[in-house]
This record gives sequence, structure tokens and C-alpha cells, in this order.
Amino acid sequence: MDKHNIHESVQAADHDVPIPYRERIGTYYQTLGYGAPYRWAHYAEVPFAPLKKPLGESRIGLITTAAPFQPDKGDQGPGAAYNGSAKFYRVYSGDTAVDHDLRISHIGYDRVHTTATDSNSWFPLPLLRQVAKSGRIGELAPRFHGAPTNRSQRVTVELDCPELLARLREDRADAVILVAV
Amino acid sequence: MCHQTVSLAARYLEEHGIPTVVMGCAKDIVEHVGVPRFLFSDFPLGSSTGRPHDPESQAFTLELALRVLESAPAPRTTVQSPLIWSASPDWKLDFSNVARLSSEEIARRRAEFDRQKEIAKAIREKPAAE
Repeated sequence: MDKHNIHESVQAADHDVPIPYRERIGTYYQTLGYGAPYRWAHYAEVPFAPLKKPLGESRIGLITTAAPFQPDKGDQGPGAAYNGSAKFYRVYSGDTAVDHDLRISHIGYDRVHTTATDSNSWFPLPLLRQVAKSGRIGELAPRFHGAPTNRSQRVTVELDCPELLARLREDRADAVILVAV
Repeated sequence: MCHQTVSLAARYLEEHGIPTVVMGCAKDIVEHVGVPRFLFSDFPLGSSTGRPHDPESQAFTLELALRVLESAPAPRTTVQSPLIWSASPDWKLDFSNVARLSSEEIARRRAEFDRQKEIAKAIREKPAAE
């Protein structure tokens, strides 16, 4: 199949829309027998900070929800079943100058249609190094940061977000790419 | 949770003056939270930075995200990558779709979910080693 096949101007199937995850997941857990549906974070107002300088002069940070591989925590390999023991609950950081073995077995990614065999499809650190070298961005921040995926929005906003901000300020990051797995 | 987490973080960073772009595959979750800049790939969850084993797709996706970061005119800017996952959109019918599961499978998943919750609880309650 052609990986750059942009839709031709023919009518698409009705179900060819972005998956309605909130609805899908809500119905899923209700059917499994769990009562009150999860209340997803929802805001009417959205902040906006303009770039202060061109990307070619900016120091770019990277935030991921992937987890460092932990050999003692069970199967975290490609296609592994959901592995709650591989979750992490505190912000962590890693040196962007070297490679890291980050896994996504602690996340509900699509285990039917993807296999988690290529970390470049969720953690673009090697590519970002190339992009920095090319001059497209000024430079990569010295560290990337891991954000814990917590069901509690309060924990994310009151504990993890301030920690991420503090570390990015320490890194003097001008802008940040956040990758959701 | 993953898309919600990065969306909340993006908002927090922007409130404190740091511009962001979110790369993700769950459009409804990110837009429901509300973020300044979002590059949406209509790919299965787990492929937010491009198709696996396809460096060209990954480079294209990252470049789009950089363009969103530098050129979004206002908050809630979503750009959808023109890349498509497969010629048939039928993969979209599978994820967490109870209409496609037998009652035995639903019971099995419930048991597994309870087991995972216990594991997570045990980790959270363990005293920090650091």
C-alpha cells in the first residue's frame, strides 16, 4: 500500500472518522460492569504562548509517556499484554545525547493493529537529534522528560505538571514537543 | 490516560509561557481537554510519531509537528496528517469495541482489569525507594 496515499476525492465510508475514544472506552468499561463513567478533563479556555524566536534558534524539549524498560517487571516487549507493573508514578528524565530503551506496555495502545516493535513511532529522540543537526531546530534540550499517566487529573496538574515545568526551565527549553503514546 | 496527561501538561506549560505541540492519535481526547497546538495522526494508538519501521513517515510527521508549532495562529489549532494507516478504514472498528466481543471475552477482560488494578495499587502504596 502507498504510505502517502492522500484521500482521493471519493466519498469515504461512514466509519472512516477519528475513533471516538471517550465514547468507545466509556461503553467498554460500562459493559465490563464498572459503574460511573470516567470524567475526562475538559476546558473551555485554552492558553497560548507564542514562540519567542524562530525554531532554528530555539532549544526544543521532549516529553513522553513511555516508560524505561525494567527487566524485573515482566513482559514489556512488542505485543505484550497490558502490564500495569511497568507503570511509573513520578516524572523522570533522560539524557538526550544517548539512546534509551523506552516501552509502552503500561499503556492501552492498539495491540491489534500495532505491535510496538519500533520505538521511533512513539519516541522521536533519534530523529530529533538529526533534525537538530540539520539546523531545522536550534538545538535539543539536554534532557527529555517522562510524564506519568495518572487517572487522577489532580495528581497530573498539581504534582507532575509543576515538576515538568521546573525541569524544562532548568533545561532552558524554548518550546516543547509532547508525544502521547 | 496518556493523551489526557500530555494535553494537561501542554496547557500547564503554555500557561507558564512555554509554547508546545502535542503529537497524538486520539483526536477526541486531546480536543476535549483543549490544547494550543495539536498534530493529529489518524493512526492506531501507539503511532503518534509516524508509521512503525517507516523513517520517511516518521520524518514527515515530525516536520508537520514543527510546522504546527511555529505557525499555529491561535489556540486549538489541530492539523491532521494526510498520511493514512491503510487502504481500508476497518481497523477503526476494533479498538475497545464491545459490539465485537463475546460475553466470555468480556468476562475474561474484566478479571484481567481487576488484576491490573491490584498491581497498580500495590506499586502506588509501596514506600518510595529513592
